Amino acid sequence: MNTLRPISQPAAAGKPAVMGLEPVAPPQCFGGTVNIDLPKCLPVNFIFNAAAVGRVVSLRTKPPKVQVKSFSFAGSTAEAAVCPPAERSEPAAEKADTPASYTRLTPSRDVIKLGDRLEYVLQPPLELLLADSNLFFPCRPYAYQYAGVAFLFPRQAAILADEMGLGKTMQTLTAIRLLIRQQKIREALIVCPKPLVSNWLREAARWAPEITVMAVEGETAKRRWGWSLPDVPLRITNYESLLRDEQCLAARSFDLVVLDEAQRIKNPLSATNAAVCALRRRRSWALTGTPVENSPQDLVGIFGFLVPDLLSPEMTPTAMRAAIADYVLRRTKEQVLDDLPPKLIHDVWLELTPEQEESYRLAEEQGVLRLKSLGRQATIRHVFELILRLKQICNFDPLSGESAKLERLEADLEEIVASGRKAVVFSQWVGTLRHLRKRLAPFAPLEYHGRIPVREREAVLARFRDEPNYRVLLISYGAGGVGLNLQFAEYVFLFDRWWNPAVEAQAINRAHRIGAQGAVNVVRFITLNTIEERIDRILEEKQTLFETIFAGEGWAQGVGLDAAELFGLFQLALPEAA
Amino acid sequence: MRGCESKSNTAIGFLTVVEHTEYGLFGGYLILNLAGRPVEFHCTTPLKPNRAQKILYGPTLNDFLYGELIGRTLIEHGRICPFVVCTDLEPILAAQPYVSTPLVLVLDDAMQHSTNPTQAAPAGVVNDEEFTETKVYRLDAAHRSGPQLVGFQFGRNRLAAPVAAEAERRALLERFSDWAETFDLVEPFQRIRAAIEEARQAAQ
Repeated sequence: MNTLRPISQPAAAGKPAVMGLEPVAPPQCFGGTVNIDLPKCLPVNFIFNAAAVGRVVSLRTKPPKVQVKSFSFAGSTAEAAVCPPAERSEPAAEKADTPASYTRLTPSRDVIKLGDRLEYVLQPPLELLLADSNLFFPCRPYAYQYAGVAFLFPRQAAILADEMGLGKTMQTLTAIRLLIRQQKIREALIVCPKPLVSNWLREAARWAPEITVMAVEGETAKRRWGWSLPDVPLRITNYESLLRDEQCLAARSFDLVVLDEAQRIKNPLSATNAAVCALRRRRSWALTGTPVENSPQDLVGIFGFLVPDLLSPEMTPTAMRAAIADYVLRRTKEQVLDDLPPKLIHDVWLELTPEQEESYRLAEEQGVLRLKSLGRQATIRHVFELILRLKQICNFDPLSGESAKLERLEADLEEIVASGRKAVVFSQWVGTLRHLRKRLAPFAPLEYHGRIPVREREAVLARFRDEPNYRVLLISYGAGGVGLNLQFAEYVFLFDRWWNPAVEAQAINRAHRIGAQGAVNVVRFITLNTIEERIDRILEEKQTLFETIFAGEGWAQGVGLDAAELFGLFQLALPEAA
Repeated sequence: MRGCESKSNTAIGFLTVVEHTEYGLFGGYLILNLAGRPVEFHCTTPLKPNRAQKILYGPTLNDFLYGELIGRTLIEHGRICPFVVCTDLEPILAAQPYVSTPLVLVLDDAMQHSTNPTQAAPAGVVNDEEFTETKVYRLDAAHRSGPQLVGFQFGRNRLAAPVAAEAERRALLERFSDWAETFDLVEPFQRIRAAIEEARQAAQ
């Protein structure tokens, strides 16, 4: 257009006018006319001639047709009942602040219809939604916790598989709270291990104070009464009660059922799995920090509850990973907590003392001979007995009491205690812990394990936390592996190793969690040329397995501590009978 | 001109256009209630001007496509007439002569510094010098100037509206002054863009 100039003036304004334009410096003899609609100055058509061929070409600028798709949302009306700001209670979430980035609700893959998907996409971001709903929060959630809530909120089926300590409980309660407030659900049920019921009640009072919560447990009559009450927004029960009340629950239905520590249903043939799968429900969520403990088959059991028939044992791991991608949210502390101190893992390889080594060789030779003599009668139980025996010798020589691990632990503790820091020492045996208590007496160690009465345990933890004279806590995997907050300890010793990395991770995360002030040093003792070294190799493979499914890395075939591998620890073939 | 079914004093419209390099222009129109929840959403199928249109419409093309075609059509499709329609693109204001709902431009920091003609905000009265520098014979000069805009503060947001819409501007400030501090008028455009992307993927 810039090379054209007007050759006539427009007609009166308000009427379509014809104006002519001609090239300023025509390289060839072209003439053109643009018809323009005034006063908008929009072209109506353009006529020009190509002089070379003496032909007139007309272009009519017909406006393109715009097609519109429309959606309306039944849940919202233009006249929304919103309290004016002056009348609102002041939630802890800072609603006036604009965050650097908002957390948006995104529909899951199983929401198919565009209208349904848009209903989620067009919702306000979670930060505004929560601020506008007058929800009280004891503290401002982390960005990744908003993301977790946004993940759960739209999903009919989901696994929140965050690493321990990232606040799965808080995220779940907030999502439930929001669903209840938006009237998308009316009755939710949380099923958790028995010791965690009180924890859920406590957390619900903290994170969802306005929601009525009821624990359904205890005697039969009390449970029946609990199930029969109408309009209880949130019930919490334990797996054992659920099993007992299976018939009672057959007639009930829930809008949402949440399974905490969902690895409890990893066996698809278990009664617990059958009981939870029989619950009538619209939404199914599972919470677990360890969705795969031993093999990918663990997921088959959990997904039997979430999305029946999505997974089958025959599926390849790659297919399994693709199938579950939209249902699983897994974050580690390293991924989401920039300010969480690092976790430094040191594997300390130790040679057995001569006394230990002699006892170990003798025990192993006798054990293997016995297994061989049993022939086809040898079972996994026999192998386990031998493994446990050997591991105990790796801890302490039964005859002399010598221990390479203890020598190293004493040296480390001297330095730790002298520097005013605190350490926890994990073992799978109470006997080992008792032995350690005697030998570590100069450090005044505290004990927390199955033989410490439950009523005394809180006091033990309080002393360890608050009193500077107590700097060492001896703790068993069984009693202290879950639910404890030991973030004030900067050193974690795994005196002996557990069977799978998930349990060890639970133990380590007692100290390495939100609130930890400095780097958490994890020391894993492994004795050379022993069963511990062989088991360590398998544990490493298990870790690879876990990372493969949840971090998208390559797949390691055939890992796991199955029967054949247990026998393989002693270079023995798996007997047919086993 | 089509009209809305009902006028609402508690609804606000948000209208924007997303340019997709492959498919063209997608328009999106979202009506929210005062709680920020979606009430209606309308989007267009992609619109791509051909070469002849680009040449013949010249600098008026964006106003025509964004405002007259997309903006006007979308606003007319709304069942509810919101109190005001916000846009983050200046050319959409060209829809104003065709619709009864007042349009305002939401300014953000990026717009103040943008060189993209569809994003650069006039932020106040148009500078006359801008036009003295252009060719004298440009017939579209008068149109290009568009309505003169006045920038004003609306709570935490900075808006611009045509000078001629003084009454509407006052009404907006009076009606929503209580809410202005809590509204983030930029955020809903992110929702529209996400929804358009969702609709585009669904169409594929």
